[in-house]
Amino acid sequence: MLRYLAKRGITYVFMIFLTTSAGYFLAVSSLKPALLEQERIPRPTPEQVANSMRLKGLDPDLSPWERYVEWLTAIVTRWDWGRSPNGAFINAEFGDRVWISTRLFLASIVLTLVIGVALGVYSAARQYKFQDRVITSYSYLAYIVPAPIAYFLVQLGAININETVGERIFFVTGISTPGLEPGWAQFIDMLAHYAVPTVAITLVGWGSYQIAQRQYLLDNVNADFVRTARAKGLTRNQAISRHALRVSFIPVAQSIAFTIPAIFAGGFFAEKIFAWPGVGSWSIDAISLQDVNAATATLAYGSVIFALGAILADFATTLVDPRVRVQ
Amino acid sequence: MSSEIAAGRVEQPQSPAERLHVAGLHAPSDAILSVRDLNVRFNTENGIVHAVRGVDFDLMPGKTLGIVGESGSGKSVTSLAIMGLLPTTAEVTGSVRLKGKELLGLSDKAMCEYRGNELAMVFQDPLSSLTPVYTVGTQIIEALTIHNPGMSKQTKEARAVELLAMVGIPSPKERLRAFPHEFSGGMRQRVMIAIAIANNPRVLIADEPTTALDVTIQAQVLEVLHTAQEETGAAVVMITHDLGVVAGMADDIMVMYAGRPVETGAVDDIYYNPRMPYTMGLLGAVPRVDVAEKSSLVPIEGMPPNLIHPPTGCSFAPRCPLASDACLEGEPALAPVPDGPLHLAACIKSGSLGGDVDVLDVFAAPPVPVSRFDAIPREERATVLQLKDVRKHFPLTRGALLKKRIGTVKAVDGLTFDIREGECFSIVGESGSGKTTTLLEIMEFHKDQDGEVVIGGISNKKAADARAKSAMRRELQMVFQDPTGALDPRFTVYEVLAEPLQNAGMEKPAIRKRIMELMKLVGLQPDHVNRFPNQFSGGQRQRIGIARALAVNPKLVVLDEPVSALDVSVQAGVINLLDKLRAELGLSYLLVAHDLSVVRHISNRVAVMYLGKIVEIGEVDRVFDNPRHPYTRALLSAIPVPDPQLERTRERIILQGDLPSPLDAPKGCNFATRCPVFAALPKTKQEKCLTLEPPLLPVTPSPAAQTLAADPLPALDQRFACFFPDGEIDEDMLVVHEAADHHAP
Repeated sequence: MLRYLAKRGITYVFMIFLTTSAGYFLAVSSLKPALLEQERIPRPTPEQVANSMRLKGLDPDLSPWERYVEWLTAIVTRWDWGRSPNGAFINAEFGDRVWISTRLFLASIVLTLVIGVALGVYSAARQYKFQDRVITSYSYLAYIVPAPIAYFLVQLGAININETVGERIFFVTGISTPGLEPGWAQFIDMLAHYAVPTVAITLVGWGSYQIAQRQYLLDNVNADFVRTARAKGLTRNQAISRHALRVSFIPVAQSIAFTIPAIFAGGFFAEKIFAWPGVGSWSIDAISLQDVNAATATLAYGSVIFALGAILADFATTLVDPRVRVQ
Repeated sequence: MSSEIAAGRVEQPQSPAERLHVAGLHAPSDAILSVRDLNVRFNTENGIVHAVRGVDFDLMPGKTLGIVGESGSGKSVTSLAIMGLLPTTAEVTGSVRLKGKELLGLSDKAMCEYRGNELAMVFQDPLSSLTPVYTVGTQIIEALTIHNPGMSKQTKEARAVELLAMVGIPSPKERLRAFPHEFSGGMRQRVMIAIAIANNPRVLIADEPTTALDVTIQAQVLEVLHTAQEETGAAVVMITHDLGVVAGMADDIMVMYAGRPVETGAVDDIYYNPRMPYTMGLLGAVPRVDVAEKSSLVPIEGMPPNLIHPPTGCSFAPRCPLASDACLEGEPALAPVPDGPLHLAACIKSGSLGGDVDVLDVFAAPPVPVSRFDAIPREERATVLQLKDVRKHFPLTRGALLKKRIGTVKAVDGLTFDIREGECFSIVGESGSGKTTTLLEIMEFHKDQDGEVVIGGISNKKAADARAKSAMRRELQMVFQDPTGALDPRFTVYEVLAEPLQNAGMEKPAIRKRIMELMKLVGLQPDHVNRFPNQFSGGQRQRIGIARALAVNPKLVVLDEPVSALDVSVQAGVINLLDKLRAELGLSYLLVAHDLSVVRHISNRVAVMYLGKIVEIGEVDRVFDNPRHPYTRALLSAIPVPDPQLERTRERIILQGDLPSPLDAPKGCNFATRCPVFAALPKTKQEKCLTLEPPLLPVTPSPAAQTLAADPLPALDQRFACFFPDGEIDEDMLVVHEAADHHAP
């Protein structure tokens, strides 16, 4: 197992290095932060801009290759991912934002998985009955409605509740109210901020798991081995829950494994709409702000997350499926 | 003679309810399982399919009932109805009594009391019938836990080990922790049997338990079923389409057609004295592996009826050569035939049929076709295909980027044979023996191949450019196993047949003419050319496949399992057609088949393959009547024959284990690991088998015959690769069932 991990790890490190380097070259040759600086008022002289950029390690006069070598050396020797044009350090900014993304998505992803898989099983057991039709229709609706619209609808709902009650129960944007004393009041404030994004992301997210779990379970409900289990003396429902369920969970487990790292990578729409400054919104902002180092860092991070997901998916499969052996 | 089948002994009352009542009253009280007037209807989009229509039988403790029929005859549905495993949408009526207790109408929960306990079942496909994510131990123990909640963990585990040992799984204690995918098909079927007999069932239903397995493995599994029945004393319902499989096992037979039993009786009555034309046809349609004399097979024309529309007359009448107007007036009831009250047949003419009526006359089997080449000695005929030392080795590698060779799979290892004009040459062997790879190597026809392939005088070594290849394709054509998969569903028959002709550069009017000829040649109506493949039955589709192969007038047709996907009655028609075409057109065949009975019927010469090598080759009657190689002997003895008396007394060589992985092949003789002769050899002789590879040597006439003959006798057309062909067979691998048990009349 360790050998397998080491082998996979080395392969992925190599791949991450390649994508990140390619990403850096693309960013450094297309993003020109100096141009943005010159639109400031009062307009700085080109020399001033170049000087300030040079101080932040973003010298526009160096060739892409020279900057790449400089950037890479800093990462390898000091684990320093450089600075943004506004002077912020990527390392510090990144640490804050990962934590924000994680907090935003953690609860909702756990809820999404549990509700999605549970409803999938429930609806498969009642195929074509009323409950199944309602649940599965909802899931397809959640598929079709674009996430931002769904988020806005949930926000509107929360605002409506606030207005009906006449008191602000839910916050529809932001992470927390600044200046609160630590303790009970802060905890309630946190919940009030958490509720709306969590509900919104969960409501939109579970549909895909419900559809997948329902489909895979139905594929196995009439499998030969379920019939064998019934022939042993299990009732239909017992045979399904003991035999078909575990087999149908194999492909679902794989997709779950890919989802978990995505928690840390965040999501652009949710972060923007709920005003949580996480990694997702940062990556988009970096491009519009001509921020070479931030754009490359988010890209590198995305690759790492993907590699982790792939390894986790392999793990998950070996865990639930004895036919797969790690070599 | 046993007295299991008692239904219908009384006069047929009018209404089913009355009939049921009477039958129930007369049911023998000691029957373990009584089925009365079982009817199953499925509501489908096209209407109500009446899949089982009035099945009656009684099963006595410890006896075996064989239910025989073709696909769609309702035999599997009957068994699932008894088990209560049909989908809830199926409408089941009638009565199923287990030890007098009614099972039909019980809830799923109430049925669980019986399922797996007193009533157990073994299914057809062992590969998909075990849950892939649990160990076999877990799955066996589960069956014990359900019905013995109080049993301790140790007891259950000990019982599971005992069960695995009983079904012949080596080192059962360790194998308990193995997963199903670590077992071969035959081994998995043994596990299925172990699960079924875990709670000592009174009734064991086996639904085509060996259909998916190789003949040698089939013999092993049948043996295990036999042991299981002896150990548990269970009554067995054996469902099969293969009349050979049940001949030796069953006490009674029920033949089903179109959802109804059409003939029931003791096994000897059914096999030796059939009274229903369908049974006669089925028996005549099966080629025999033990009979050298050549006669045509009995084809049963037509298709089984569609069960959406209730038949008004005898359901077999449209296919029956004896049908008269009287047959169309109401379905004949199952009634006793003149020779005994326990033999029933659903035919108004059963009185005039019987043991001395020749089935070949009844069904007007075509005469045995004679080829113009039959009179010419083999040596004087032209060679159409020649293989010289053809090899195909697959490297076995490990690693994703840097491949490391860890071994070689010798799929085909030095094949040499030739096929002459007008002859049928067959390759037989278990799956994994390299039959299909051999065909692929011939079709490949490439310069870089290891070994020489000569097709119609064109060698792959000398002329392998596109022109030579296209000339070669005109010499050699192929017919595939699955007729449905081999025909493009969006091509009409005309397009299917026109394609090879267009490739050959033929003009349009000529193509049209040729297609009409071909349709007639393979026995299809020429005006059906504009239909699509799905409008034909399986047998007709295979005929289209044959017509396509013949379109360009090849000399050699490669047949890859051409009839294995077809039902027995349809298979006979296709085999007869192949026989006829060979004679009329002077074709040569290269046939690959796992069914040795078919091979014997159709071939002139045969090669037996084992792990990529030919172990015995020669004239078919010589090899089958006087097999020299122990593997050939084992293969032949594993094939069940549709002859109950012969089956009961026959000696059988049961090979141990499965075909070994080609990686583990021994250095000397490939077969040594499973060889029944090798096992009985003294150590000194065993050494020779393990270190030296036996060469393929001709059988020489015995010295006595040599001295008697005036001229020196020529070597016979039979060669084999074994050092000790006359060695004793190891006793553990020889099985003879006692002839003098309950079967004696």
